[in-house]
Amino acid sequence: MKRISPIDIAGGIIVVAILALAPMFAASNYLTGVLTVCAIYGIWASSWDFMSGLTGRENFGHSLFIGTGAYTAGFLSSIWSASPWISLPLGVVIAIAFSLLVGFPTLRLRGPYFALAMLSASAILQRLCLIFWEYTGGEEGLYGLDPLIKNPLHYYWFVLAILAVTVIALTLLAQSHWGLLLRAIRGDEATCQAAGINVTFYKIVSLMISAGFAGLGGALYAHYQLQVSPPLFSVVVSITVIIMVYVGGIGSIYGAAVAAILLTLLTEMLRGFGEYRLWIYTLTLMLILFFLPNGLIAPLWRRMTERFR
Amino acid sequence: MLQILIYGAVSSAIYAMLAVGFTLIFGVARILNLAHGSFYALGAYAAYVLTSLLGVPLFIAAPLAVLIVAGFGVVMERFLVRPLRSSQLAVLMITLAVSLAVEQALFITFGSEYRNVPSFVADKLSIGGVDISGQRLLALVAGVLVLLGLWLFIQRTRLGAAILAVSQDPEAAQYMGIPTNRIFSIVMAISAGTAALAGVLVSPFLTVQPTMGLLPMVKAFAIVIVGGLGSIPGSIIASLILGYSETIVAYLISSSWTELVSLVAVVVTLMIRPSGILGRRAAF
Amino acid sequence: MTDLLEVNGVTKRFGGLTAVKNASFTLKKGEFTGILGPNGAGKTTLFNILTGFMQPTSGTIHFNGDLVRELAPYKVVNRGMARTFQLTRPFVGMNLLENVLVACMSPRASQDKDKEARASYLLAQVGLGGRDREPVETLPYGDLRRLEIARALATRPDLLLLDEPFAGLGSSEIEQLAQLIRRLHREENLTILLIEHKLREFMALVSRVIAMNFGEIIAIGPPEEIVKNEKVIEAYIGKTEDAHAPA
Repeated sequence: MKRISPIDIAGGIIVVAILALAPMFAASNYLTGVLTVCAIYGIWASSWDFMSGLTGRENFGHSLFIGTGAYTAGFLSSIWSASPWISLPLGVVIAIAFSLLVGFPTLRLRGPYFALAMLSASAILQRLCLIFWEYTGGEEGLYGLDPLIKNPLHYYWFVLAILAVTVIALTLLAQSHWGLLLRAIRGDEATCQAAGINVTFYKIVSLMISAGFAGLGGALYAHYQLQVSPPLFSVVVSITVIIMVYVGGIGSIYGAAVAAILLTLLTEMLRGFGEYRLWIYTLTLMLILFFLPNGLIAPLWRRMTERFR
Repeated sequence: MLQILIYGAVSSAIYAMLAVGFTLIFGVARILNLAHGSFYALGAYAAYVLTSLLGVPLFIAAPLAVLIVAGFGVVMERFLVRPLRSSQLAVLMITLAVSLAVEQALFITFGSEYRNVPSFVADKLSIGGVDISGQRLLALVAGVLVLLGLWLFIQRTRLGAAILAVSQDPEAAQYMGIPTNRIFSIVMAISAGTAALAGVLVSPFLTVQPTMGLLPMVKAFAIVIVGGLGSIPGSIIASLILGYSETIVAYLISSSWTELVSLVAVVVTLMIRPSGILGRRAAF
Repeated sequence: MTDLLEVNGVTKRFGGLTAVKNASFTLKKGEFTGILGPNGAGKTTLFNILTGFMQPTSGTIHFNGDLVRELAPYKVVNRGMARTFQLTRPFVGMNLLENVLVACMSPRASQDKDKEARASYLLAQVGLGGRDREPVETLPYGDLRRLEIARALATRPDLLLLDEPFAGLGSSEIEQLAQLIRRLHREENLTILLIEHKLREFMALVSRVIAMNFGEIIAIGPPEEIVKNEKVIEAYIGKTEDAHAPA
């Protein structure tokens, strides 16, 4: 299939190197913390892009997987005092279980059922966290989680490595025959059927992969914040992720990750604007929808590197 | 028993007002409007501003609030949704962006604390030994009247016939000289107006706060999926089913469990009969 | 020789309209059959039913001895029945090779280990050789039809269903495409069922004709008999001013 060109590999290595070394120049725990969140958003955005960007089935409730991954870590570490290293694989498993729960009934249907079901499911789970507050801690959520790695800088490097692995794995999958099928599904499902392809199967498996990485990111986030709370399930989280993918350029995966990092940094810089921050986000989304339907990061990178290909 | 009957009817009427507008704009214009919950929240806030802050009498404030929100819906459709209509995904994104923008705007202007709107009718009524506030009863009566009026409007007027024609086949309707874009604007106004009316009517007895639109919208999704996307009778039937089952669950188990009812209803519908109770036919 | 396809009493109603009425026929292995009928005779509906894109109101379809009714379209393809669309539906944004590759991923093509080589070979087979990397957007109509056929062949079908392959093509394009189809039938030992409403191209190709009108099969037989059949003449000559009248 499409080979990944050397210039893309070089670009990737440079970006990862800059990110890895960034905390060395301005050694502050604050910056390390922000960069950790950047990398986690990168995992969420690229995992959203893998399923929805490639198959065109827009998932409006990625926070469902993020939240279930995070709460799995929360329950394990804070209530059952399990080793934090168990949180990661179990967060993945639980998120995948939820992807089957929503994906199985809705992905075999045409129409907007999947998008609506994802949005509803994440909203309902957020409510359930508040309703069953005896178990979930209600508004405050669960706290007192154990850190995975005590040294914040080392934890940042760990998360960054996972982001790199996520982007590489998802990019390779997207460029494989498998990814070709997912893009074909985006194009025309009836033709895929006529080509003997079981489209529902491929959509569900791609959602499972997407959910798995999102749940992993959720568990990583929980062990960074050392607490989990219901807003993890909120529509705002899902939308933030989608805006990142839009800015990055839908279906590019690496673009989503880079956009996630840049936008998270930008959000930190805009912290002074307080309540207006989300407004700025929403406005960005509207402007992109109208003026840059192909996104910003990936098209820009392709333009810049055109002559090296 | 009678209590369930009355409270269930009230919930059903409010749900129906929300769901009918949501399904109507989908059935006619194929717009899946994720900002529908904002109309509801805006209606409640408009009522709050007009009555509590500006001191406008209630019977003027209520229709005024509905008109303002209907106008907002029309402007949104015309300038934000219509240019992007060629892409279903873009429509979903832009309406979602609008709903977030509205929520944030309400949050910035009014803060997150709960607001109170005075009751339209202060009296409590007693029906067969069940106490019910006049406000809830008003919501029920208004809901039934609105749905009846909408039905008569679509069945009996030329404009209604045009709306019906567009919902069945937009292209053919355009050839027949029906101005589809104007129809979209009108339907958007109706859709936003009914949602706003629901918001106005519940504002005295439910909490008015910025995120109040999200959950009713999720309920509207559930109703529309259960009833069949685009079918108005279907969504009315589904509103009754959901309204009553939630009331029964609240009565028998606990009100905390009501949130699960819509989730279960959606999952069961999608598994057994994905096209909904009345399938996907024309709007009426 | 055994029957490859056996259609028994298939009926399809849409509300009050009966699009296909009690259709029954069989196809033998290696046969080249055509379905003839004016526009709206129910040919494409019948195709959609055979390939699982629609479910019949009643009736049964056996393929290779198995009941295929109520199977999803992709499952029908994986039993060995592949189709093309009248309105070609390529995957936009992909090149020719990728368009065929998608079908090379189907379970029936699992024996083809080198998918790229197979897809490239199929493109050459249908006369699109050496154009693997061309984008699909710039392709003329006739080439799109060839691409559709290549994609159908990628699923290694026993029965190939062609939905009006000549519609909208010029006469030289028609001649070339007809040659291709004839060669596939001969060399690849394919059973072919072809829909057409123009008589001329049709009669030279097929060895047997199923004539339809208003959803009903009105005659089955070799082409030279069909053109003499009174019902068929009535269905066609009844509106001679129509551009689709026999030549």
